[in-house]
Amino acid sequence: MLNLMRLEMKKYKLGSYVRGAIIANFIILGFLLFISLISKIEGEVELENYDMALTIIDSFVRATFIIFAATLIAKLIIGEYKNKTITTLFMYPINRKKLIVAKLAIVILFTFCSIIISNILITTIFSFISVTYQLIPDTLTSALIMQQIPSMLMHAIAASGMALIPLYFGMRKFSITTTIISSLFIVMIVSSNSGDFSLNDIIVIPISLALIGISVAYLAIRNIEKMDV
Amino acid sequence: MTYIVKTNHLTKVFGGKEVVSAVNMHVKKGEIYGFLGPNGAGKTTVMKMLTNLTKPTSGDIEIFGEKLTNHSYEVLKRMGTIIEYPIFYEKLTARETLELHCEYMGYYDKAEIEHILDLVKLTNTDGKRVKDFSLGMKQRLGIGRAIITKPELLILDEPINGLDPVGIKEIRELFKMLCKEYGITIIVSSHILAEIEQLADTIGVINNGRLITEISMDNVNRSQTDYIEVVVNDGKKAAFIIESKLNITNFKLIDNGCIRIYDSSVSQNIISRTLIEHDIEIEGISKKTNSLEDYFMKLINGGVVNA
Repeated sequence: MLNLMRLEMKKYKLGSYVRGAIIANFIILGFLLFISLISKIEGEVELENYDMALTIIDSFVRATFIIFAATLIAKLIIGEYKNKTITTLFMYPINRKKLIVAKLAIVILFTFCSIIISNILITTIFSFISVTYQLIPDTLTSALIMQQIPSMLMHAIAASGMALIPLYFGMRKFSITTTIISSLFIVMIVSSNSGDFSLNDIIVIPISLALIGISVAYLAIRNIEKMDV
Repeated sequence: MTYIVKTNHLTKVFGGKEVVSAVNMHVKKGEIYGFLGPNGAGKTTVMKMLTNLTKPTSGDIEIFGEKLTNHSYEVLKRMGTIIEYPIFYEKLTARETLELHCEYMGYYDKAEIEHILDLVKLTNTDGKRVKDFSLGMKQRLGIGRAIITKPELLILDEPINGLDPVGIKEIRELFKMLCKEYGITIIVSSHILAEIEQLADTIGVINNGRLITEISMDNVNRSQTDYIEVVVNDGKKAAFIIESKLNITNFKLIDNGCIRIYDSSVSQNIISRTLIEHDIEIEGISKKTNSLEDYFMKLINGGVVNA
């Protein structure tokens, strides 16, 4: 399985996605610093405390990488069907299910790892800068960080699951556009913040979306051996 | 008789329409099997089913003596294929394409990659992505990819599409060499009769999803070779003379006055002289050529099998 994943990455030169992820991180970071800086200059407090800052970082990161996951799905799976390269792939003496599972595993792992790493990276840099320049009128305590970790992990897992939902829409007509647009809808549901509240905070919603994502993936591979390509 | 590929009432229905109906195909070990048929006859669909890409609606396929099922993966290791037109991951170069292919196939002889690139004349394409290849180059790469692992069975759908005349000749020689020296069985489809004629040992003719006939090239040649037609006044006597004096047995008395001689070693001149010497009046003598093309046109249009 690891070998299959390695071949997939080699085939699509997925290194460019890592570069993209790093760029996305810096944009999120820059955006947050920009908001904090403006609000400090204007004297209007946007980010009241670190709890809120960490929540916003987490929302941004998840939104970004759910969309990233959709582009990966579009490239690794939808694109194979669209460009008919799937006929080449399915002619190899390798179980079709394994081939698709390897692709999905890349999507899930990439999403999960990016969310965790980006959260850590952005939070660290942002906190460092904000503590140094007093951007937020609050103190960052280790208790707060410890308290955030489990929820961040939970959210990352849920996001990795729900990131698979676009696969369903994309596979209907092998459309890359549909895949990415459906991921935007998911992001709108789970990452929109109205003041202090987001749908993602109702724990049932992210969990059920994640389960839907997993079932979509299961449906995609269940009949794959009987399918004509 | 060992058959590498055998299909039994192979049928495929797409959207309520039978595109392949009850095909019984027999491919012997070590032969080149030409799969001939007009566009849309069902050649590609049959080949897709042989490679397990498309699943039959009914009927079954035996490859290397084993029935093909949804879970037949090992058998794919022993096949090399091009279906419709070769499809690649277009961002890779020719060498990367072959490397990737070998890894997926579980074939680890790196030296072979250079050899194949050389064989299909793609050595000077380093740094060029497959995306920028011409159709002919893609076709060559496709062939290279299909043969690199030295499979026992090659399934090639229209492999000469897009090649120039020199390329076609080279590829034809290559196929013959692979067949002869490595004992690779090749199934090659085409709608170009002349191509199949020069390549195949056995021909399967398919039209409207039905396999009309399966015939060895030798048989086609025998039934379709040139012949000399002599029209005489006394057919029976002439036949006797031809047999006894000229030692020809390969002839046919069509009706009482018309004889067809299939033995090409005897010239028209000798035949007429001998017959005249034995007092037989010759009303006409002529050399006739029945082209293979006529034969297949008849077969495909009329669907009559009389070979």
